[in-house]
Amino acid sequence: MKNHFSFQLCRRRRKESLICRRFEPRHLGSYWILVLLALVFAGKIFAVDVAGDFSAANKFYAEGKFADAATAYEKILASGETSPNLLFNYGNAEFKSGNLGRAIAAFRRAGLLAPRDSEIRANLDFARNQVQGATLRESRWENWLGSLTLNEWTFLAVAAFWLTFALLAATQLRPALKTALRRLTFVVGIVTIFSGACLGADAAIYFSKQTAVIVAPEATARSGPFDEAQSVFTARDGVELAVLSRRDDWLQVTDGSGKIGWLQDKQAEVLPGG
Amino acid sequence: MNLSTVVAVLILALWFAAAPARAATFTASLDHDTITLGESATLSLTFDGGSPKSVPLPPNVSGLQISYDGPSSQFSFINGQTSSTITHHFTITPRQTGEFTIPALAASVDGQQLRSQPVTLTVLTASAPPAAAINSGSQIAFMKLSLPKKEIYAGEVVTAELDVYLRDDVQNFSNPQLTGTPASGFTVGKIMPGSARRAQIGNRVYTVFPIFVALTDLQSGDLSVGPFTLNATLLVPASNQQQTQDPFFQQFGIHSPFVNSGEEKQVTLATDTLNVESLALPAENVPANFNGAVGNYTMTVTAGPTNLAVGDPITIRAQISGRGAFDALALPDQSVWHDFKIFPPTSKVETTDQLGINGSKTFEEIVAPQNADVRALPPFSFSFFDPEQKIYRTLTRPAVQLAVRSAGTTPAPMIAATKPAAAENPPPQQDILPLKENPGALAQTGPPFVTRPAFLALQSLPVLAFLAAFVWRRRADSLANNPRLRRQLRVAQLVRDGSNDLRRFAAENNPDEFFAALFRLLQEQLGERLDCPASSITENVIDEHPVLRGAPKETLDELRELFQLCNQARYAPVRGSSELNSVAAQFEKVVGEVQNLKA
Repeated sequence: MKNHFSFQLCRRRRKESLICRRFEPRHLGSYWILVLLALVFAGKIFAVDVAGDFSAANKFYAEGKFADAATAYEKILASGETSPNLLFNYGNAEFKSGNLGRAIAAFRRAGLLAPRDSEIRANLDFARNQVQGATLRESRWENWLGSLTLNEWTFLAVAAFWLTFALLAATQLRPALKTALRRLTFVVGIVTIFSGACLGADAAIYFSKQTAVIVAPEATARSGPFDEAQSVFTARDGVELAVLSRRDDWLQVTDGSGKIGWLQDKQAEVLPGG
Repeated sequence: MNLSTVVAVLILALWFAAAPARAATFTASLDHDTITLGESATLSLTFDGGSPKSVPLPPNVSGLQISYDGPSSQFSFINGQTSSTITHHFTITPRQTGEFTIPALAASVDGQQLRSQPVTLTVLTASAPPAAAINSGSQIAFMKLSLPKKEIYAGEVVTAELDVYLRDDVQNFSNPQLTGTPASGFTVGKIMPGSARRAQIGNRVYTVFPIFVALTDLQSGDLSVGPFTLNATLLVPASNQQQTQDPFFQQFGIHSPFVNSGEEKQVTLATDTLNVESLALPAENVPANFNGAVGNYTMTVTAGPTNLAVGDPITIRAQISGRGAFDALALPDQSVWHDFKIFPPTSKVETTDQLGINGSKTFEEIVAPQNADVRALPPFSFSFFDPEQKIYRTLTRPAVQLAVRSAGTTPAPMIAATKPAAAENPPPQQDILPLKENPGALAQTGPPFVTRPAFLALQSLPVLAFLAAFVWRRRADSLANNPRLRRQLRVAQLVRDGSNDLRRFAAENNPDEFFAALFRLLQEQLGERLDCPASSITENVIDEHPVLRGAPKETLDELRELFQLCNQARYAPVRGSSELNSVAAQFEKVVGEVQNLKA
């Protein structure tokens, strides 16, 4: 309606001015293309920027300036953009800087985005082997569920769900197909239930369980969320602990041996999932 | 404001005035003021009528471990009085016996300084019942601790057996918790329950639940184990049977099936303290590479690859199997391996029992030959003290021949049929894998799709599509099985279209087409209602058909009039548009009434 109004206004004034021509409806298609092109090129320019920063960070790493490399990767991550490769390189830089906990956290975040990347897995395992003290590990079942991301489980379950109902609708629209589609519908229904159960389990782990990775050289878990509370246990850099609850700036955590204590949240990086 | 309103306001004012302004109070209390070592007590700091600015923390009391559990709150409104209570709970775990006083605590509540009273906790040593009481069968439950031998060696692992005896009249045994396992000079390892058995003591039969505890001796000298303490809930026969028996069943001398005849009892069981003599390892005939391993072991060693270049890694995998303290096992120092660069070994323990004292520990060590003159891996040896035989033993594996070439030389050809040793034993990763060269697909991380409302709402589409198909199928099936309904719908559509045609013919002032269409529509509509062929419908059916006899007289008159108009039109066809329009309106009115007739 707005464009139509502009068009009428121009006709009334009988001026073939540039402005009027710009707003004529017959030119709208061209403007949409221009807007799209602008968006595409803006994305490309941003991508070039990130690629440049990424290369610069890689160069720092190659020169042995691991802390500078970690800062450069962190800067890219702070912009909101992320990728498994970026987190992988950030983890490497933190590992080489001696920040085992930050490296493990980065590798785990990378693993959440690309769970089947063998290089991420290898570096995570390698970093974990350097950790001193009792630490949590995922169960075999959690590892199996973690072979797909939560979104991948979601799309698998949704695809099976849509296919199941499409088949059911098809048998309603064409009853003659009922016999032919019965077995397929049953199989797809089973796949829907199974993938739905896996999605539910993965979502439960993702949302209800949290892991705290110690990022301080040594963190003291206390009996209460107070600096004055007695020490219960200490955890070294890189130790992974299960988060039980939060209170203000404190995390209630438990280690693999069942000890429970409170940590200041600045001493740990909290990740979703078990 | 009338009188009743004034009275109500006065009553409310008096009621609120009667509610006394409650001053905040602060009390400290213990759920148990006397406990045994191994048990815990709960300290509750209760604020009634206010909330403290910060949680008052009990000071450190020597011999007590105090940990904060969290707050709980309560709000009550009783007889017009409101009260709110906030309680902060602390768990107190004593580390020694004695009487402990937690001093008065101070807290600020709404600007008011409050102090609690000091509380005293008495911690007693749990003790085993006397032997006479056990032998008489008067003990409903007790525990015994035993060790396989009285003399052990420092570093040796022994299995203590803790037997829980429950008398035959114990109906249930639940929530057992081993609250204290003091063992000076030992580390307490894993705990494993055994199979229950029965035993007769005195005149009573007891069920015995064994619990095995792995103990590793850490030092030589006179050591002690126990008293172990265990808390449990027992369901025992009620002390007063009269109270728990139903009078109806009691008159027949039987227990009521609806009344639980037992009562739950919390018990703390304790064992005696056992004294053990821990012997120092013999000082003579100590092997040169002995590094403290005590137990009974065997060893297998594999190494590969054996055909390699200078600097290439060789993986040595040494598996030590048997019984002992695997956590403390370490590889002996290979000081004679001068020609090799040795990387720190990694190890993995795999136990074959629940106590973790039988199994194997596998060491993986990477070594790299430093020159091409190396011809073999030196013999690999491991020494340990065997506490059963009371001697030191050394396990030795012979040297492994190597073919080491200079770095950069062509490797010797391999026989096609043999698998390369490196493929079987890939060397473990020595460092993190290198960087990735490109950042990959960058994206903003958003919440998972499963949490997005729009995505979830979208999932209702297949369900709705299925429901639509289902409803459509039901309707199609219903029509296929009901020819009258099918005809009803078809005629209704016909009448709707026909009405439009009538309006059009009226507008065109085409009376011939108008009345022809009108007659046909009347026939179709009446034929459908009267369930007879449309062609058989004439004006006569209005008076003859039983269905139409129940119709209002006005409707029948109008029907007759419409039929008559149709007949007259054959002889006097000229009519104006306005008259045709009024006929069309009359037709629509009559048809609506006919459609409402019960067929």
